[in-house]
Amino acid sequence: MLDLVVIGAGLSGLMAAYTAAQSGLTVRVINKGLGSMHWGAGTVDVLGYAPDAPEKPVQHPFTALANLVVQYPDHPYGLLSSDEIRAGLASFVALTEEIGLPYRGSAESDQNLFLPSPAGAARPVYLAPEAQSAGDLSRSEPMLIVGFKGMRDFFPDLIVQNLAKQGHQARSAFLPLSLVTDRIDANTVHLAEALDDLERRTRLGHELKKLVKIGERIGLPAILGMNDHSVVIADLERLSGVPVFEIPTLPPSVPGIRLYKALRSRLLELGVRIEAGMEVVSAEMTARHNGTPGSIQSVISATSARPYKHRAHNYLLATGGILGGGFNSDHTGHVWETIFDLPLTVPQDRSMWFASGFLSPTGHPIFHGGVVVNDVFQPVDGGKLIFSNLWVAGNILANADPILERSLEGSAIVTGIAAGKAIANL
Amino acid sequence: MHKLQTEVLVIGGGATGTGVVWDAALRGFKTILVERRDLTHGTTGRFHGLLHSGGRYAVKDPHGAEECIRENQILRKTHAHCIEDTSGFFVVTPEDEGDDYPEKFVAGCNAVGIPCSEIPVAEALRREPLLNPRISRVFEVPDGSADGFLAAHATVNAARVAGAQIMTYHEVDELIVEERSGERHVVGARVHNVVTGEHIVIYADIIVNAAGAWSGKLAAMAGAEVVILPSKGTMVAMNHRLVNTVINRCKMPSDGDILVPSHTVCIIGTTSVTVPNPEPLRIEPWEVQKMLDEGEKIVPGFSKARVLRAWAGVRPLFQETYTGGGRDVTRKLALLDHSQREGIKGFLTITGGKWTTFRLMAEATVDTICEHLGTQRPCTTATTPVPGAEQGNYWVGHRLHDVEEQRLQGDLICECELVTRTMLENAVQRNPALTLDDLRRDVRLGKGPCQGGFCTYRAVGILNEMESAGNWNHDMLDESADTMQWNAAHLQSPAHNLTRDVTAGNGKGHSAESPTVFNPNLLLRDFLQERWKGVTPVLWGRQLKQERLDELIYLSLMNIDHLPDDELASPVTDFYNFDTTPGPFEPEPKKVG
Repeated sequence: MLDLVVIGAGLSGLMAAYTAAQSGLTVRVINKGLGSMHWGAGTVDVLGYAPDAPEKPVQHPFTALANLVVQYPDHPYGLLSSDEIRAGLASFVALTEEIGLPYRGSAESDQNLFLPSPAGAARPVYLAPEAQSAGDLSRSEPMLIVGFKGMRDFFPDLIVQNLAKQGHQARSAFLPLSLVTDRIDANTVHLAEALDDLERRTRLGHELKKLVKIGERIGLPAILGMNDHSVVIADLERLSGVPVFEIPTLPPSVPGIRLYKALRSRLLELGVRIEAGMEVVSAEMTARHNGTPGSIQSVISATSARPYKHRAHNYLLATGGILGGGFNSDHTGHVWETIFDLPLTVPQDRSMWFASGFLSPTGHPIFHGGVVVNDVFQPVDGGKLIFSNLWVAGNILANADPILERSLEGSAIVTGIAAGKAIANL
Repeated sequence: MHKLQTEVLVIGGGATGTGVVWDAALRGFKTILVERRDLTHGTTGRFHGLLHSGGRYAVKDPHGAEECIRENQILRKTHAHCIEDTSGFFVVTPEDEGDDYPEKFVAGCNAVGIPCSEIPVAEALRREPLLNPRISRVFEVPDGSADGFLAAHATVNAARVAGAQIMTYHEVDELIVEERSGERHVVGARVHNVVTGEHIVIYADIIVNAAGAWSGKLAAMAGAEVVILPSKGTMVAMNHRLVNTVINRCKMPSDGDILVPSHTVCIIGTTSVTVPNPEPLRIEPWEVQKMLDEGEKIVPGFSKARVLRAWAGVRPLFQETYTGGGRDVTRKLALLDHSQREGIKGFLTITGGKWTTFRLMAEATVDTICEHLGTQRPCTTATTPVPGAEQGNYWVGHRLHDVEEQRLQGDLICECELVTRTMLENAVQRNPALTLDDLRRDVRLGKGPCQGGFCTYRAVGILNEMESAGNWNHDMLDESADTMQWNAAHLQSPAHNLTRDVTAGNGKGHSAESPTVFNPNLLLRDFLQERWKGVTPVLWGRQLKQERLDELIYLSLMNIDHLPDDELASPVTDFYNFDTTPGPFEPEPKKVG
């Protein structure tokens, strides 16, 4: 029997699996689809906007976090000490070094980076892949944002105009998309894979050299190689003679996919099997009874061939709330956790789900709710443990809206690691 | 101040107004149409999309039914490319059994010439496998699915070709009424361009009030009385095309008894609730629930299917004297000659009716205009197809067919609705567009499952590039018809929507004389909010998950809630900002009368 089955292959699930496997546990990850890594920017946001001041970006995330957990003690970050959060992020950075996809933060500690978004807004980010970090808006070199004519997921003029309005020096230029690909239906993944080709990236490098002025840095869509990413960047910098950085694009997210692939390889090395396309459809479990927590005996996944029973001593639920499909909802206003039917803090009434505007600074209450856990990340109901062998981590946790406050990846990483540790320490 | 002189001034850019401007222009009248927002912004943009066979009115309103079948047959020729030939079923569900309505229905159809044949239930189920297997009888009639957005553009296009001038985003501030030898004459209208603020006076020999649900308000400006009972109808669009045939319940018309396939989705409707004002309209949870419950009777499992969007339109039901109640007030067209009614010369109101009869309403209106202007000019709209009609009916796969045929996969801006970059560019070049919502009506941008998740950013990026290159022609809001060729009717059509032809505009680009509200950040915010407005009443399940993904994209990835220019607003920003989030569930109020 396995020590741990992790349900969900997003950042929190993978970090939990990694932490547990490193401690010597036998671990399997089963997942239905892919986590939000594949859709986002590929950066690690720890806290970009505090709930009480949503208009102003957070400069110093740890200072702001300290205030946040005083103000909102139920916030998922409140389950951890500041040191644990820092240590979790540090171990993530170390892991990215180890897997050849180094993440970097600001040179100063406790400082968010500000990186250009695909719309030209300044994104408050704590850690970024090395390839994005040269886009740091606190740096003084003017930016040359280069796009590809006909590429539909990246618009340099929009970025440049908005950066200029915020006082940053930037200009745009276009290259033909045929420089990168011959495909007529190329998405970002195809483009990144195309640039793994030495000849294509060499051609691109020469073209960049012609466009760039001395002292500039070049921003490109995040398609600079998939498997040979670091070599692609190095070649482009060498050929153009200036720093080159990536700006994330509309999904699919190449930076996110690189991270997923690298983490996955590392987990495979550690003997963790990752079984994709396996949706957990039911579980064998006993309910809490007479003061004794219930327990999970198995989870059952659906595959095209037959149902499959996964047994483990412990289970970690990292299915990512509404975005990840961990919660479902219906027209009656019912919201439920799909596997164990865990109690949720979400209002069970549609009239209480939303604020009036899409961009409401308060966010929407439905996305703020989730599963309540104790200090070792086990779900509780009125303070009482529900299952003796179930843990949860990531976007599924109650009392935060990680997309609104820009804490999605940071919170996934540190809660995933913490849950993994809690299980390993049993 | 700018002054214009015309023979006919039409106020209102819905089906009725576009029909009148078309007919008047074909009869050689110098004609101007003003619309305060985009074409079809009102009721025409918020209906089922049902091309009535007349079956629905066969029992209750034989005259209306007869009009419908006649117009149905005409529009299939004049507006062929705006229609999908879906056919229609009237089905007797278990709920509808127990009376002689089916017999009355057949007799009613026969009496007014609606082709109607009973088909075996088994055949109906073979054609529509999701249909309730417990239905007992099925009658087939020539219902169709119509694209009201495309039809309005096609109609207006035909009018432009005939010399009419179309002024969208021009709002009427005042009608100019003069006393002439003791008689009141409406001689013109003061309007302003809601984008530039420019004031224009339009003098006209005759003014047609085609303002739909707003026609009472407009009539009051002339001192005339038109009582409109705004009757709200809520519709719900399902994410899938659950049926390929229009499905009607074979019973007395009521709420939620029509299911219309429309492009890639299907639409169920409607409710019927008298409201004090035509705008803004809230959708109540009971309305959504009722549509799901009624849909369940037609297609079992309906309420568990993914819901895409909900909206409400107002029927401009005309009444001479208040009688209360919504669905029983006449839906017949009402042509009010205010010179006869109130002695106000030069002013007509055309209201009531339904989309299917818009051409007929226009014909009646322009006949009366001829009388007033002392001229005899026969109506030719019934025999004059609008440009584009030669392409024939559209079908659900036409866009996919073109994309595959012409290998345009990499050119798709909106994967849900298969909108290509060229379609978007052509739409911008050929139609005055102020917001992405206007382009949505033109090319179906953002109408699919992701509700703008991907295409909003792409469209803004492309428009911004066009703007930078001087290729977005804002002057078109002040266009005069003779300076350009109009081809909007081809936007969604199989043959023409994919040909790159961005030189069609006059190429003047953005000039200092035409201040605009172009701002990419405003376009982004407005369209995301506009899409949000229509999803919140039905946001749960997979659509809620989709919405959260859109948040991931626009907040976490794009950070558009922290872009510059957040103080900017467009003339329709407030309209989009109206709160549509569901309120507490309250039961349906009892109907009066």
